[in-house]
Amino acid sequence: MQSRLGWAVLTIVAVLFFVFIYAPLLVIVVTSFNANPVNMLIWDGFTLDWYRGLLGLGERATDVSNRALYIESTDQLLAAVRNSLTVAAATTAISTVVGTATALALARHRFKGRGVYSGGLLLPMMMPDIVLGIGLLIFFVTIGMQLSLLTIIIGHCTFLISYVYLIVQARLAGLDPALEEASADLGASEWTTFRKVLLPQLAPGILGGALLAFVISMDDLVITYFIAGTGSTTLPVYIFGMIRRGVKPEINAIATMIILASILIAALGLWLRSRKTD
Amino acid sequence: MTALLEIRGARRRFATPEGGHIAALDGVDLDVGGNEFVTLLGPSGCGKTTLLRAISGFEQLDGGSVRLDGADLGALPPFRRPLNTVFQSYALFGHMTVARNVGYALEVRGVDRATYEREVGQALEKVGLSGMGARKPSQLSGGQRQRVALARAIVAKPRLLLLDEPLSALDRNLRQQMQLELKDLQHRLGIAFVFVTHDQEEALTMSDRVVLMRAGRIEQQGSPRDIYRRPRSRFVAEFIGETNLFSITVERIEGGLAVGRTAQGLALWLPAAGLRPGQSAVAALRPADFTLEDGDIAGQVSRSVYLGSDLHLFVRPNAGGPEIRVTARDRAGAPEVGTPVSLGYDPAAAHVLEEA
Repeated sequence: MQSRLGWAVLTIVAVLFFVFIYAPLLVIVVTSFNANPVNMLIWDGFTLDWYRGLLGLGERATDVSNRALYIESTDQLLAAVRNSLTVAAATTAISTVVGTATALALARHRFKGRGVYSGGLLLPMMMPDIVLGIGLLIFFVTIGMQLSLLTIIIGHCTFLISYVYLIVQARLAGLDPALEEASADLGASEWTTFRKVLLPQLAPGILGGALLAFVISMDDLVITYFIAGTGSTTLPVYIFGMIRRGVKPEINAIATMIILASILIAALGLWLRSRKTD
Repeated sequence: MTALLEIRGARRRFATPEGGHIAALDGVDLDVGGNEFVTLLGPSGCGKTTLLRAISGFEQLDGGSVRLDGADLGALPPFRRPLNTVFQSYALFGHMTVARNVGYALEVRGVDRATYEREVGQALEKVGLSGMGARKPSQLSGGQRQRVALARAIVAKPRLLLLDEPLSALDRNLRQQMQLELKDLQHRLGIAFVFVTHDQEEALTMSDRVVLMRAGRIEQQGSPRDIYRRPRSRFVAEFIGETNLFSITVERIEGGLAVGRTAQGLALWLPAAGLRPGQSAVAALRPADFTLEDGDIAGQVSRSVYLGSDLHLFVRPNAGGPEIRVTARDRAGAPEVGTPVSLGYDPAAAHVLEEA
């Protein structure tokens, strides 16, 4: 009897937990289809207008409508998405390569200052974003570097390398060092060992690190806000700019599309991982 | 006849966390013949694994040389050394099939497809894993993984195979079976095996020669029988099998035999070779050397341990001193605790240690 009660309580807690996590996302998805342009909490019928507007499929003739105040043009939004993707792709590539190489170097070689190095790698992760953002801005201004997509990429790499390092390093720590010795013993050079043994063994960690780097880079607002120049606005910065002029239905539509994209990326990651373990 | 493997004056020191140094290898000389099964035996920390790793190249020597077939290996990195290793953890590549694991040495060497297929098939057959090639290591049992590691190490036909405690992860029955198979495989391949273990039973079962190491030095080496019957020191006698050690003073020599007496007054007959009256020595007698009747060591059974075919008895001598361990056949009427016995032995079986 008691155990049945316990089971019921546990179920309720579990359901509440997931409601707690997903309810805000659900609200956004639902309101993105709400036809009411003024008060999004009052359901006014189903519409795809906001999506049409965002994607430039709506009747552009009524550009005078108040909507135009918020979405100056679809081109701007698409430019922001393109900037975000460019930054995220470049940042992911750089931080994955550098982070993985760093993890390998620190795990497999003994050199002077190794402890300081590995400790120093964690600092950018723990630093508050706002401090890092201001620091980067002052740095770029001091060295006279024009704020652009490049400064955003550099800024993101400063802390995303640490994330990739941490994930790859954890995978590396769980790897039997005898694997590399066995490969060498069987006649493989260091490079062959890296290609044929180390890389395939580390692949899930590297992939995980890369996905995380991509998602964080896509999502970053605070640091990017400081170091993005005019014309290099990323999606989060663009959305933040829209919100400052009021929460409008189009924002819900953007958010819903981002949620969809995130789910697709996460699913892809999970699928790749499950394929690896087969 | 020159040896296949020649190690001369191998030295290796490690820094301890306290700032000092310990010698893992303290001047080791070792020869291994081309068709010999040599076991490096010793307690942990004796240097046996360091010696093995110095041969494979994963450990650099501070001094001394390692030669294979006359060629100095010292300057060669592990991947250029023409020998292979079976690792304690097997170190199988989990992302590759069994066949690709086995063929790895050929793959990195870039042999042609036909040779590759043939050699991999033969190696798998030699270890009894034909037909398993398409599986992943994670789908195999511990014993099968052990065989894959073995096949992988012999596929390139090395003349020397190093084995680092490869059986320690297997259960007792499988371990004993693998011991015999390994010995058999070594025989069929006609190559040299250097086998590291801390298990003296394993060493005695398989080896042509046992090299017993202690604190970075070779304490004694010889055939299993030699090292069991004629231990040089107390350390060897106690490490290899069970033994009874008696500290004695030689009283007199009678013909070919010496009479020694322990501090408690127990008299022992020993081979006289090399002994002088008045000399102190340590005599070793194995538990199986004793009979329970018609002897001149009177005592009482104090404990008995049942071991299946054998019975392990502890006999407290009436004269006093430590209990004597005796192995007896288990038959009806095995002596109960408290039974008086008179232990006998063939004096020729008694062995006097060179070093106390």
